[in-house]
Amino acid sequence: MKKLILAMAAALTFSSTASADFPEKDLTLIVPWSAGGGTDTIARALVKNAEQHIGVNVNVVNKTGGQGVVGMGATKLARPDGYTVGLITFGLSTYKLMGLSDMTYRDFDLLQLLNQSSAALSVVEGSKWGSLEDVMTYAKANPGQVTLGHTGAGAAWHLSAAALGVVHGVDFNFIPFDGGAPTRSALLGGHVDLAATGIDEVKQLSEAGQVNVLAANALTRHPAFPNVPTLEEAGYKVDAPVLDWRGLALPKNVPADRVAFLEQGFKKMFDDPEFRQYCEDVGLILVYEDSDGFEDFLANMEKVLEPTLDAVGLLK
Amino acid sequence: MSFMYLLDAFQTIFSDVSSLLFIVAGVTAGIVVGCMPGLTATMGCALLIPFTFSLPPIQGLLMLMGIFTGGIYGGSISAILIRTPGTPAAAATLLDGYPLSMRGEAGKAIGVGTVASFVGGTIGALIMAFMAPQIAQFGLKFGPPEFFALAIFGLSMIISISGESLLKGAIAALVGLLLTTIGFDPLSGVPRFAFGNDNLLGGITFIPALIGLFGFAQVFRNIEKMEIVPQVRSKVGKILPSWAEIRGLIPTMAKSGGLGAFTGSVPGLGCDVAAFVAYGEAKRTAKEPEKFGKGALEGIAAPEAANNGATGGAMIPMLTLGVPGDAVTAVLLGALTIHGFQPGPLLFRDHLEIVYPIFAGMILCQVALLGIGLSGARLFSKLINIDARVLTPVIFLLCIVGSYSMRFSFFDVGLALLIGVVAYFMGQAKFPVSPILLALILGPMAEQNMRRSMMLSQDDPSIFVTRPISAAFLALAVLMTVVSYRKFKKMRAIEADLKAKADSEGAV
Repeated sequence: MKKLILAMAAALTFSSTASADFPEKDLTLIVPWSAGGGTDTIARALVKNAEQHIGVNVNVVNKTGGQGVVGMGATKLARPDGYTVGLITFGLSTYKLMGLSDMTYRDFDLLQLLNQSSAALSVVEGSKWGSLEDVMTYAKANPGQVTLGHTGAGAAWHLSAAALGVVHGVDFNFIPFDGGAPTRSALLGGHVDLAATGIDEVKQLSEAGQVNVLAANALTRHPAFPNVPTLEEAGYKVDAPVLDWRGLALPKNVPADRVAFLEQGFKKMFDDPEFRQYCEDVGLILVYEDSDGFEDFLANMEKVLEPTLDAVGLLK
Repeated sequence: MSFMYLLDAFQTIFSDVSSLLFIVAGVTAGIVVGCMPGLTATMGCALLIPFTFSLPPIQGLLMLMGIFTGGIYGGSISAILIRTPGTPAAAATLLDGYPLSMRGEAGKAIGVGTVASFVGGTIGALIMAFMAPQIAQFGLKFGPPEFFALAIFGLSMIISISGESLLKGAIAALVGLLLTTIGFDPLSGVPRFAFGNDNLLGGITFIPALIGLFGFAQVFRNIEKMEIVPQVRSKVGKILPSWAEIRGLIPTMAKSGGLGAFTGSVPGLGCDVAAFVAYGEAKRTAKEPEKFGKGALEGIAAPEAANNGATGGAMIPMLTLGVPGDAVTAVLLGALTIHGFQPGPLLFRDHLEIVYPIFAGMILCQVALLGIGLSGARLFSKLINIDARVLTPVIFLLCIVGSYSMRFSFFDVGLALLIGVVAYFMGQAKFPVSPILLALILGPMAEQNMRRSMMLSQDDPSIFVTRPISAAFLALAVLMTVVSYRKFKKMRAIEADLKAKADSEGAV
């Protein structure tokens, strides 16, 4: 009898030190963009089977505003008990450089990188240009005449297209829209000559033959677009592409055992076949980096962005 | 051809009772969400999406569309009863709905709103089912200059909702326009008037502003009147509108529903814009425009038919182009994608098995709405009989929860309270607050698209008048202003006349 009690006590102590008491309740995932948008949809798809992988649900909470500053700020200031995880996005690489906020990736404990998207330059079907070379030749001869729609000043696709112009001495007439959807409608309606968007954002229009993707600002071809050349292959190399990215982060000072649990847990959700299938369907490229790899990627991204932002006059 | 597909789709839905249950459940949930200030149809859909993961795609979508339809309609109930629109789309409904409810005819107001929502929604759904591809192509013709002209046309409605003084209406609208300049500017990439506050970086959030302008301001007014004004009671026997009254409104409903469906189908315009456009149009063409703002039934029928018509409209660009018409359809787009259907031109080629049930479901949602709304009107209209000393604190609480829940932010609660205090004093000084709301909706659209157009034309302003659609809307705006101004003058003259008569009689 005594032995049994001892064994039970030992089992209890053991289980608590092995942090089996975390998580005791559902987790919260803060998404800094509004419900129903691209980032939100990915977040919800990611945590859909959370219970299967970590034993509890993950509730998505949208804290929006200020180009993501509000939501990412909320993650930064959340109680570091491991129950709040934040989704962080591309803006975090630009806030400080653009003077929007002092927040950078250094304010977080990084969990993992989720995906990277590259920019695509598209024209509407029936455009007089069939290749990037056509566009660049025309634009060079007619400075400021080619209108290029993008998704907002300082967004990844704007900077990506700006880098192309700066490196190759071409002067585009940049027309900023407010997000991907209005940019696509402006291209389809013929209101702009070219559009710079995420390559996944034009997947369906390209499959339907309504737009023609001329080139992608990436190091390798996109598996869903085997015929779309990278900028380098098209003859217009840009040293390091500006990539849109999404990842997961924690506030600083979460206990190490909980961080380890979350790292493994979210990796399992990330590897969930249903999530993978969804991302493949929408043309989203999943890229995994652990916290160290993610940090290197973000450090490098700032180095790429600084001269680009400077070139378009957005560097503070 | 497409008619046969539609019949097939109806058959599919009817063959499975659970589909019908999902529609009814969705519409009911939507009405509840919609009539809570601060909980919008968008949020309702977003919150429900994870739940629909486990349902077959069609059932999941039917439920989401039910929430969309019910949510847009539900907003009108709180607008009519407590002068607080549950959703932005219902903001125009309170102009005539609340005065009617103050006369003890809340049931009639809700009844008219319900029938109008049904008629408008059905028109929208039919237009969607039979004309989607053509309408979508027309919507694409809207570029920056067209959006600018459309926003200006919308702003010309200000005269219609200004109440007694045009000058005060214009001042209120300008205050609203000024407020829209706060926040990050997506065109230049710099923050404006944010004073280093992260919460202001996104601008004045629309829902807290709406709750402040109407909800909190109304709470303050109720507190002031609580002891002196006798309680309004719903009149017995006047619960629902009569058939004769409804029949007289059919032309208004039909026109507003069509107008709403078209407005909703232009990407970027939503149910809220549709409602205001229809209200202004109904007032412009009304036989007795002086009754507007004082409980005219047309003033309820027009915006309600238009905002529900816009739900069908907003689905058009989402389904055919993969470009959402408004915030709710953006969420629906996400839901379709999760279920493995990528909306866009290929949807109509590859997945007719989902397209037609969507059309049929949208029509059935309207029927469900009519049934639930009319049977609920009796119940809802009794809300007004609750003692103001009980009702007012409840509304106050709802307003706090509503302004918080949009983005889980106490800053927004404070902002809504502040706006509420300002709106209360504006009301005391007889400044109308609806023009502020209209400016908040249309301001960013006007400003951004004007600048975008000027970038496109390289600073040549003729771009606004050389493009036919843009020129037409600008001309309409001028026409609207002139006609409304004349009517306004005439109305004032009649009122002054009546007043003089009353005064002289009083002297005798």
